[in-house]
Order: sequence, then structure tokens, then C-alpha cells
Amino acid sequence: MIRYTTLFVLTLLVLAALSFSLAYLFPGDVLVNLTGITPQNDIQRSALIQQYRLDQPYIVQFAFYLQQLVTGNWGYSFISGLPLRNEVAIALPATIELSAYAMLIAVIVGVPLGCYAGLRSYSTADYAINTGSILSYSFPVFWLALVFILVFSLELGVAPLSGRVSLLFDVPHRTGFVLLDILLADGINRKLAFTDALHHLLLPTLSIALISTAAMIRLTRRSVIDVLNRPYITAARSRGLSKWQIFFRHILRNALLPILPLMAMQITTLITNAMIVETLFSWPGIGNWLIQAIYQRDYPALRIGMLAVSSVVITLTITIDLINRLIDPSREKFERATV
Amino acid sequence: MPMLDIKNLTLEIDTGTSRVKALDKVSLTVNSSEIRALVGESGSGKSLIVSAISGSLPSNWHITADRMSWQGQSLLSMSSAERREVMRRDIAVVFQHPISALDPSATLGEQLEESIPDEFVEGSWFWQRKQSRRSTAISTLHKVGIKQHQQYLSAYPHQISTDIGQKFMIAMALISQPKLLIADDPTRGMETTTKTQLLKLFTRLNQTKALAILFVSHDLLAIASMSHTMTVLYCGQTVESGNMKHLRKRPLHPYTKALLDSAPSFRNDLPPKSTLPTLPGTIPTLQHLPIGCRLGPRCPRAQRDCVITPVVRRIHDHNYSCHFPLHMEKL
Ligand SMILES: Nc1ncnc2c1ncn2[C@@H]1O[C@H](COP(=O)(O)OP(=O)(O)OP(=O)(O)O)[C@@H](O)[C@H]1O
Ligand code: SF4
Ligand SMILES: [Mg+2]
Repeated sequence: MIRYTTLFVLTLLVLAALSFSLAYLFPGDVLVNLTGITPQNDIQRSALIQQYRLDQPYIVQFAFYLQQLVTGNWGYSFISGLPLRNEVAIALPATIELSAYAMLIAVIVGVPLGCYAGLRSYSTADYAINTGSILSYSFPVFWLALVFILVFSLELGVAPLSGRVSLLFDVPHRTGFVLLDILLADGINRKLAFTDALHHLLLPTLSIALISTAAMIRLTRRSVIDVLNRPYITAARSRGLSKWQIFFRHILRNALLPILPLMAMQITTLITNAMIVETLFSWPGIGNWLIQAIYQRDYPALRIGMLAVSSVVITLTITIDLINRLIDPSREKFERATV
Repeated sequence: MPMLDIKNLTLEIDTGTSRVKALDKVSLTVNSSEIRALVGESGSGKSLIVSAISGSLPSNWHITADRMSWQGQSLLSMSSAERREVMRRDIAVVFQHPISALDPSATLGEQLEESIPDEFVEGSWFWQRKQSRRSTAISTLHKVGIKQHQQYLSAYPHQISTDIGQKFMIAMALISQPKLLIADDPTRGMETTTKTQLLKLFTRLNQTKALAILFVSHDLLAIASMSHTMTVLYCGQTVESGNMKHLRKRPLHPYTKALLDSAPSFRNDLPPKSTLPTLPGTIPTLQHLPIGCRLGPRCPRAQRDCVITPVVRRIHDHNYSCHFPLHMEKL
């Protein structure tokens, strides 16, 4: 546990330092990059420099920056003038929501298919599944999303082109997750709004999920084949256990344990893909928001956006690793006790 | 009629580039309620025979046999369901490396309890059945000499020592009350007292429950004291088999003699992975097998005829395959 906490805190510190140095590395005025406030006159300017400790050594500046981050003062958007914290609090959940559903689909579809392919390895079914997964793994997500839009939105008209939920529904912002917000909302037709939101989710989720599913299939299949060759499976068969007993008691757990950390690595890809797809579907997530920031050279927003995304990724990765350690019995007992 | 009857079993392994005959026309029988020893140097293919009988084979192994039957039913032609039933109820196997034969992610208790055939479990409610499973497991553990069952039932395989693992494998094999126990080197590396305990258990089960045992071991002393019959294997070929007493008194095959001589007065074990002191050279690898009698290059009695594979000859119930056997004059 201590090891994980140190790792976590250290990584976050490095990320914070990186985002701090961006204020200096980005073109333009350091003060503006850091605060997002453009001073109107010299008096205001020197006041801000004082306030942000910019006249003091870097280390003091950084310490103050950290303190500001922790207390929630993340600076202001250069363009809209709104506090960045509020903007991120709206955009980030939208991305997380999209990624979470995609991951859910990837696991629900990918793991069973991968198991099936692994158990029937080198059969026709296996080749079919394998070919399918390699094919969908090699599509660029950008292109895939465009094809989806072309076919399903423009040609068939079964799914909306962009956005999260139809503007007809006035869903108040509570959790930032649209489906949850709809369930919590009053004064709208929840059922209609829910179906509408699902329609909006369909295409972006599918375009991200397809690639992650393909990855899940390949990971699971490989792992199942590995486990099948282990001596304990031979031993279990020689005890006359049935196929299902062997699969559920001995294959499944042993196959899934080693791919959990690999799934954590998939999350990075997943979030990156989500951010790409957002821009295509005008999904109000952090990816879309960052792209806007880039277009408008909103340096404070870029600085905070990157920090937020990388923090989320790091948190998820470390959490999954921690969970893996907790549930894997072949890790030493005392090791588990200390976590 | 023998319970387990194997005639001319050949096992070929695809090694990618070539196909090697890892077992060449091996014959082996186990009669009901006999203890048969299977001996041979390291690498002679004893574990391969055990795997072939247990049935679950890697896809690059190819088995052919004139006969391979269990109580008159052919193991090779029966359906996989029937085969599984035989393995579940009649034949139990203790593999050579116990820890790797245990699932690392399940507790020892779970694995022991799942080996109990359903018909042995009493009670109709699941908690009664659970209770019954647990008590069967505990009593079997006591039988094989594990007293601290509490501690070990909830342990994972990586937490136990090798000899506890060996005992657990034996417990898992015995818990289904099989008719035939195949034990591959079950006492390797054990302390003498533990070993004696286990061998006594085997002998007792053999006498009281008529359990037949195929005993694979390097421990010639144990073999000599408990087995009724013996099959000697060299380099994937059965060289001699017969009654233990006859074999000890008058081995016909030069290899059997060398093997027996290597353990003077049967006091020492045949150390695993070492050369026989009474025979020059080492066992050839599967990639470089001599033609004809595979013992040829190491055999003190070898002559020109030995490049032709000797056929199995039989005197009473003593089989051997050698062109120039020992002790012929005395028979
Ligand atoms: N899976 C395999 N693939 C290829 N060759 C194998 C395989 N398993 C065993 N062999 C080879 O078959 C031969 C016989 O091996 P086996 O393990 O049966 O010997 P053994 O008589 O059990 O030896 P030991 O007394 O050390 O247990 C050896 O030469 C070994 O290299
Ligand atoms: S056949 Fe020849 S080489 Fe083989 S054991 Fe007999 S005498 Fe030796
Ligand atoms: Mg062996």
C-alpha cells in the first residue's frame, strides 16, 4: 500500500511539475499562461505577479502552484474567462462515461469470444474470430467513426449525428454522467430522454469499443491457450473433471488474472480513442474541449486539461494494478496483508 | 485378465522439424491388486507412459497401440465421456511434479474436494453436502499423513513445501477410491520416515482394498520390498518385465542387471539424473537414437546382431527383449 501511494503521489507530482513548466514553455506571457487572466494595467500586473509568487524562485512558484491546484483554484480559461475547474468538471465525466461504456462492451463481448476462440484454438471458429479481431484492431478509429456516421447517421438515419442528448430535454448537470443525470432529473420525460441519450451514445461508444473489444479478444485468447497447456489442466483432466468444471474452476480465473494489468494498459488507448472520437461526434468531453483549446491557443486550458487527463489515466492504471494484487492468490500472503 | 493392458504402445512426438519415437512398442500390464514397479534411468520415458495412460495429451503427441485397454474396454476407441468416467472413478494419477499439477489460483481444499465423486457425498442440501465433502477431505488428509488440515486446506499451492504437495496429490488420487493408482515418483526427495509412512499406506491399501498400483520410482529399495512385479524401461523400450523375485534373482537383460547392480544390496537409491555406475555412457537423447537395440552402444554383451531390434521373448511370465540374454543356462 505504501509503495502504491508513493508511486501515485510521485507520478502526480511529476505531472504537476510538467504542467507548471508548460506555463514557461508555451509561447506568450508566463503570467497569462499560468492564471488565464490578462492584466489590464501595470498595477494589476504587478499585483498578480506578487499573488502568484512569480517574482520568487521557481521552487516557491511551484509550491504555490501546487497549493492552488489542491485548493481547486486551477486558473481561468483565456477565452471564456470561466474557472477551468468547472469546465473540466463538465467535460471530463463525459469522456469517462464514454470510455466506461466502451470498456464494458469490450469486456462483455471480448472476454467470452476470446475464451471461446482459445478453447477451440486453431478451429474454423477460432480463425473467424481471430480474423475479425485483427481486422477491427487495424482500423483507425477516426476512419471508423466517420464510416459509422456516414452509414448509420447519414444513410440509414438510425442514430443522431452529434451531441449527448437532444436539446429538447433540459437535463440539469449533477454527476456529469448523462444517463445518471437523466435518472436524477425532474420535470422531463425520463424514459424518452434515456432512450434518446442511448441513441446518442450508440455510435461513439461502438467506434471506440470495436477496437478495445478486438484487443480484449486477442488478450483473452492468448491467455486461455497458455493456461490450457499448463500441467494442472492435464492433471485436472486426469481426475475426470468435466469440461465445464475445468473451464470455470481452473481455466477462467487463471486466464483472466494475468490479463488484468494488460487491460489497464488498454485504458490509455481507450481514453485516447475516446478523445479522438469526441471531436467527430461533437461529444462535449475533454478531448473535444482540448481541441477547442488548441484552436484558440487557450494555454491555461491546455495545461490543466492535460494534467486532468493524465491524472485520470494514472489513477485508473494504479487502481487496477492494486486490485490485481489483492485478488491474485499466487502473490504472497504477507504481501497481500500489507496492502 | 489384466486390468490395465498395454501392448506395443508407440508414442511419437512432433518436434516441429522431425518426429521422434519417444516410446517404441512398450508393453505393460497391471493385474488387479498387484503392485507393479516401473523402473528405468531418468529420461527412459516412464513419465511419458503415465501421461499416455492419463489420456490428456498435447496435440503434437501421436499414440498408436495394438492394445490399450482398461478392464477389457479399449481406452483408445472409447468416447471422451467414457474415458473421463474411467479416469474419474477407476484410475487415479499422481504426476511427477506435484506443485505444477496444482492450480495456483485455487486453494488446496477446493481442489481436493472437487475430486470427490458425487456419489460419495452424503446429504441432500448443499450445506450438508459441503459438510460431507469437508469431512471426507480431512479424513483423507489424515490418511496420507497431513495432520494440520486446517492450515493446509485453505493454503494455495505456492505456499506449501514440495513434500506436502506430494502428499496432497496422493490424497487427491486416493479420495476417489480408485481401482488403480498410478504414482509417478511419489516419494522423491522425501525424508525417510515420511517415505516409509507413505509406502506403508500404499501396501496397506493394496492388501485391504485390493488397490492395484503402478509404482514409478527411482527408489530400488522401496520397489524391491513392496512390488510384486516389475517392468524395466530403457530409452522408450520395455527391455524386461516379470515377477519381482525372478527378476532380482536372475535378470535376463543386461540393462536390468546393470540397474540392479547399481544399487548394491539395495541400500542406495538410484540417484535421479545420474549415470549408472555399472554401465558406461549415458542414455541417448531422442534425437540421436541408436538403431536396433537402443542399449547397443552401452551394452557389454553387444554383438553385430544387436543392430536388429530384438523381439520380445517369453519364458513363463517373464518377458525380455535381447539377443544375448544372461543366465540362459540356468533356466
Ligand atoms: N513434452 C515433451 N516433448 C518432447 N520430448 C519430451 C517431452 N516430455 C518428455 N520428453 C522426452 O522424453 C524422454 C522421456 O522423458 P520422461 O519424462 O518420460 O522420463 P522419465 O523416465 O520420467 O525420467 P525421470 O525419471 O527423470 O522422471 C526424455 O528424453 C524427454 O526429453
Ligand atoms: S540386444 Fe544386444 S545390445 Fe541389446 S541388450 Fe541384448 S546384447 Fe545388449
Ligand atoms: Mg518422470
